[in-house]
Amino acid sequence: MLEIDGIAAAYGNIEALRGVDLLVEEGGITCLLGPNGAGKTTLMMTIAGILKPRRGTISFLDRNITGMTPSGVVRRGIALVPENRLVFPDMNVHENLVAGAYLRLGKRKSQVQQDIDHVFERFPRLQERSKQMAGTLSGGEQQMLAVARALMARPKLLMMDEPSLGLAPLVVEEIFRIISDLNADGTTIFLVEQNAHMALQVADHFFLLEQGQVTFSGKPGQLSEHEVIQRAYLGKGPQRNQPAADQGRPDRTTLPSG
Amino acid sequence: MDWLDFFQSITDGLLFGSIYALIGIGFTLIFGVMHKINLAYGAASIAGAYVSIAVAAYVPLPALVTFLIAAIASGGIAFLIYLANFRFIPLASPLATLMATVGMLILIDEIVVHATDGMPQPYPALFADIYIEWGDFGLRGDLIFIFVLSLIAMVVLMFMLYRTRLGIATRAVAQQPVAAQLAGISLDRTNALTFVITGLLGGLAGAMIGASVGVLSPLLVVPITVKGLIVCVIGGLGSIPGAIIAGLAVGAFENFFLAFRGVTERDMYVMLLLFVFLVFRPGGIFSRSVARD
Repeated sequence: MLEIDGIAAAYGNIEALRGVDLLVEEGGITCLLGPNGAGKTTLMMTIAGILKPRRGTISFLDRNITGMTPSGVVRRGIALVPENRLVFPDMNVHENLVAGAYLRLGKRKSQVQQDIDHVFERFPRLQERSKQMAGTLSGGEQQMLAVARALMARPKLLMMDEPSLGLAPLVVEEIFRIISDLNADGTTIFLVEQNAHMALQVADHFFLLEQGQVTFSGKPGQLSEHEVIQRAYLGKGPQRNQPAADQGRPDRTTLPSG
Repeated sequence: MDWLDFFQSITDGLLFGSIYALIGIGFTLIFGVMHKINLAYGAASIAGAYVSIAVAAYVPLPALVTFLIAAIASGGIAFLIYLANFRFIPLASPLATLMATVGMLILIDEIVVHATDGMPQPYPALFADIYIEWGDFGLRGDLIFIFVLSLIAMVVLMFMLYRTRLGIATRAVAQQPVAAQLAGISLDRTNALTFVITGLLGGLAGAMIGASVGVLSPLLVVPITVKGLIVCVIGGLGSIPGAIIAGLAVGAFENFFLAFRGVTERDMYVMLLLFVFLVFRPGGIFSRSVARD
C-alpha cells in the first residue's frame, strides 16, 4: 500500500534518514521501532509531506506522492497522528474534529457532522467533553482526540507517531485496544512506537530503524522480544560500536526525537 | 478639572480608541498566526486611505464608499507586504522579516510623501455636523460613527474567525501549525489571507483616522504604528479581546491627558503607560490560558 524506497532526509547538514526502504501492507498493522534519534518521526513527517526528502521515492496505492504538499497527502488518504498529539489547545473538542475534516468543510457539511457522530460513538469520552477546550484534557483524552481528529480526514492509512508517549499503563492499553479496533474496521495502521512490548502484540509486521536505516524487517516472533527491546531502546545496531554506557545519554539535541 | 470634563474626555477617547483597537487587532492577528510582527501594517493602513482619496479625486464618491475603497486598497497592500516580506524571506530568522517590514514601512511612507509632495490631504468626514447634547455633555457624530463602524468590523471579524472555514484554518495555524498542515490546511494560503484580512481592517482604520482628524498626513504613520504596538502589549500579543479592550483604554487614556495636560504632553504619558505594562504586566491585561499535558 505504502512503498518507501531509498528515502533520505536531512536537517541542514545532519542526515536523519539515510536511505530507508520500507513497505506497509494494506489491511495490517505495521510497526516501526527504534531508539530515540533514529529518524522515526522524521520518516513520518516526510511521508506526511511536512518535510521534503532529499532522495528516494514514496508511493501510495501505486501513485508517486514524493514531495507532495501535506494537503495533497491527506487527500490521497494518509493521515498522521503526530508525536505529542498536537491538539489545537484553544479550540474545543468539537472544533478540533471539524478542523480535522478541513478539506471537506464547505462542500460536505452534513457528511462531516455524520463523521463526528461516528467518531463520538467510538470515543464516548470525547462526546462528554465536546465543549471542553482541548488544552484542558488529560494526556489520554488528548491522544484520543488526536486519533479522532485524524480519522475525520477519512484515511485509508492511519499513521501514528508514539501514541503511548507519556501515558499511564492503563491508558496505553486503551489506546492499543483502539488501534486494534480501528484496524479490524478496515483502516491500515502504520505505527511508530517506543513501547516495543505493546507494539509487538498488535503488529502484523515490524521494522527496526537505527541511525536512519532499516536494520530489520520481519514478523513478531522472528526476533526475540528481548533483542527487539534492546535494539529499540538502545540502538545496538550493527554500525554502532560505542560502549554501551555511552548510549543511555539524554537524546535531546536539535533533532526531534524518534 | 471637573467631573463633566473628565467624563467628556474619557468618552471621546473611548470612541476614538476603537480605531486603535482595530490597528491593534491587525498586529495581534498577524502575530497570533505567524508569530511575526508586521511593522509596515500602520503604513499600509494609512496608504490605503490615501488610495481612496486618490480615487475619490477622479470620481465623486459617497464617503462610505471611500471608506470601502480604503479597506480594499489596504488589503491589497497587505497582500503585497506578505509576498515581499514574508513569503520569500526565511521565516526561521526572526530579524529578517522584522527588518524587511521596517524597510517596507519606510518605503510606503516615502511613496506617500512623493505622491503628495508631503502636503496633508483633506479627508471627507462623516456625520461631522451631528452633535448630540445632554446639557454640557455631548457626543460628536463622527466619533459615534467611527465607534459603530469599528464595532461592526469586529463583529464581522469574530464571525469570520469562529464561524467559517477560513476561521478554522486561521485559528488552527495560530495554535498548532504542524497539526494544521496535517489536517490539510495550507500555511501559505492561510498566512496570506490573514494578511489580507488585517489589511481590510487597517484600511478601514486609516480612513476613519483621516475622517476624524480631517486630513491625511504621512506624519500619522509612526504614531499609529507605535500605538498599535502598545495596544498589542497591553492587550497581550495574540489576544483579540485584549486588543479591543486595550485599544479603547489607550484611546481614553491619551484623550484624558490631551484634555488636561495638552497635546504636546499627551504621547509622553502613553509611552510611560507602555513601560508600566511591560514591567508589571508583560503578558497583557489578560494572560492567555496555558495548555496542560
